[in-house]
Amino acid sequence: MTSHHPTSLRSGFVATLRDVLRDKGALMIFVAAPLFYAFFYPWFFGPEVVTRIPVAVVDQDHSALSRSIHRLALANPRIEVKAVGADERAAQTAMSRGEIDGYLVLPDDMKAHVARGMPAMVTVVSNGAYPLISKAVQYGFSEAVGAASAGVEIRQREAKGQSPRQAGESRTPVDFRAMALFNPTEGYSSFIVPAVALFIMHQTLLMGVGMLVATWVERGAAHASPMAWIGRWLAFLLPGLVSGLFYFGWVFWLYGYPRANNVAGSLVFLVLYVSAIVTLGSLVGLWCRDRERVLQVLLFSTLPMVFLAGFSWPPEALPLPLQYLRWLIPTTSGVQAALRLNQMGAPLQSVMPYLGCLLALTVVAGSFVLKFGGKPQGD
Amino acid sequence: MRHFFNSTRREARRLGQSPWDLAMVTWVPVLAVVLVVWIFSSAIPRNLPVGVMDEDHSALSRQLVRMLNASPGMQVVDEFDSESTAQLALREVRVYGMINIPRDFERDIKRGIKADVILRHNAQFATHSSLLQRDVRTVVGTLAAGIEMSARNKRGESAQQAKVSFNPIQIQSIALFNGSGNYEKYLTAAAIPAILHILAMTAGAWAVGREFRDRTLGQWLQHEGPRAVGAALLGKLAIPWVTLTSVGAAALWYITTGRGWDIPGSLLWICLAMTLLMALSLAAGAAAATLTKSLRTALSVTGLLTAPAFAFSGMSFPLSAMPDSARMWATSMPFTHYIRLQTEQLLMGLTFGASAATPAVFLLATLGLLGLAALGLVQARDKPSTWGAR
Repeated sequence: MTSHHPTSLRSGFVATLRDVLRDKGALMIFVAAPLFYAFFYPWFFGPEVVTRIPVAVVDQDHSALSRSIHRLALANPRIEVKAVGADERAAQTAMSRGEIDGYLVLPDDMKAHVARGMPAMVTVVSNGAYPLISKAVQYGFSEAVGAASAGVEIRQREAKGQSPRQAGESRTPVDFRAMALFNPTEGYSSFIVPAVALFIMHQTLLMGVGMLVATWVERGAAHASPMAWIGRWLAFLLPGLVSGLFYFGWVFWLYGYPRANNVAGSLVFLVLYVSAIVTLGSLVGLWCRDRERVLQVLLFSTLPMVFLAGFSWPPEALPLPLQYLRWLIPTTSGVQAALRLNQMGAPLQSVMPYLGCLLALTVVAGSFVLKFGGKPQGD
Repeated sequence: MRHFFNSTRREARRLGQSPWDLAMVTWVPVLAVVLVVWIFSSAIPRNLPVGVMDEDHSALSRQLVRMLNASPGMQVVDEFDSESTAQLALREVRVYGMINIPRDFERDIKRGIKADVILRHNAQFATHSSLLQRDVRTVVGTLAAGIEMSARNKRGESAQQAKVSFNPIQIQSIALFNGSGNYEKYLTAAAIPAILHILAMTAGAWAVGREFRDRTLGQWLQHEGPRAVGAALLGKLAIPWVTLTSVGAAALWYITTGRGWDIPGSLLWICLAMTLLMALSLAAGAAAATLTKSLRTALSVTGLLTAPAFAFSGMSFPLSAMPDSARMWATSMPFTHYIRLQTEQLLMGLTFGASAATPAVFLLATLGLLGLAALGLVQARDKPSTWGAR
């Protein structure tokens, strides 16, 4: 462990690398944690899309049409029909017990209405307390009912003497189609993990650097010349860059996440992102002055950071002061810039404001570190 | 009882001497909860920026653009003439979606040929893009229905007939339990206990782990037997238990009753579960510190177990869709069961019976972990060589 005050860039760099390698706690956070979380996090969201949500079909019609809707629902991958019955109350009870998350009601007058050319109304009930589940239930049943409905309509129009082509075309005057860009399968894991990777990198590096600097403070060895601090930061950059390359270059590829491969841009971003984190981490260490305190004060911060970063919760919906304050956290710029470069393939110019923000954070945090950690104590 | 109160007094003195330690169990939790409530205070996201590529430039296409702009969920910030500038705007995320109105849109519709309105949305921002899809679909549906009705009226069909042949089987969608799709309620209510869960296990790990690190275990526990050590452990954890539970209960009261949200279930039942979740988290932190004998490792374990608990709780990605092994992890985390109970009471209005097991299991798990920690402490107290790990 460093016990003297380094003065040159070289001595700061070498002493820091040595401390990183000798400190079991720091190595755990710098190396083992990013490695572990790369496999831990995607594990939960493996299947990507929400499938086989348990549902029920309440068939009060008992017609060929209701059976065809039932068959289409059985074939739909989003839902898994667990029960079929004629009693809606049974379905309600099953839902309130949490056995199913939705059901479809086919009323007893459905076939009769359709045959007479009257509107038939079927009802899809889903568990709105869980948005992704609710969406899967609604989509799954809509697809089944929609397919049956289109079949009926085309048969009706054909009966009126329209050609199948005309019949198909005149169904609705304007059709709406949605095309998913950048994450074409709209997979949950592809959405969440590329952004969460930025938080894993940030939190592990920030805690690791903070912990080592706080340890130096405890030993009275934190204060050093500006050149020595620069040497320390260069040494701290290494674990950050390694975990960045590991995620951007390997983990994203391994799981087949959307990649647009602006490689040069990503590298520029990575250097700036890691720089902001290591200077901020040094500041946290100087402020905490206690090795374990760094972990204590940072552990709960991930959750608010995620909500402020603007990928899971739209920043347009944040209160105005938070729309500005959130830029003080590197992950805000980090997520915005990295998603653009890695997943959307935006040109480097378009992320300049975010890179500028990271640079400003580096300079400001760095100058605070030099101010408070500059002069050796007691000299 | 004497051991309990002595330990509580000692802990209170320690908190009084360390502003940091006091902060982490008092105003930091308050601030964290206030921040979470503030983040989601504006309810439903409005005015998400979108772009329009109008290749038709007709009265009808302009009407569609006006209707899109009037929809509260989005704001048309730019109109694009070329595909390359539109693509760049999407790539740079200046807009979250791009609505294409094709050439001959109006003419085709007048001739009875179907026209497609296409929304390209940035699916990497999943919340934004699902809100946009819903809103654009609604606007296009309104426009289509208007056109269809007026066309059929011209042909002399009645509105009733018109509606029928338009779509023989119609779907009525009901999302029970949170029909308004109010994300604010959903996220605030889930994020508050999630953040307190992290802070509580941190506090448990810190309170016990600090005695190991500072080699003060002997001073704290002296030479008493297992039962006295258990009482001392309870006394130590009592203060953070009371403060964190109070913060959680006050926050839940504020976002429900305090804001006029009439919940269908029982707030009292949620508060009971919250009380036990805090106790369980503190006990887990204490057990982690005792078993690892290292404050640092105990905090790492805390991070591993509690920080992702929200993401793996089934609130966002359903438990039933997880792989079996991952679901086993998720269902062994207390937060998963807590949030299920809270959702049942806040949104679904289920009976206590649906979640009666949760508080009981929490209580048993708390007692088990406290017992484990007490036994570990008795052993560690007599081995000063195991103290002081960093």
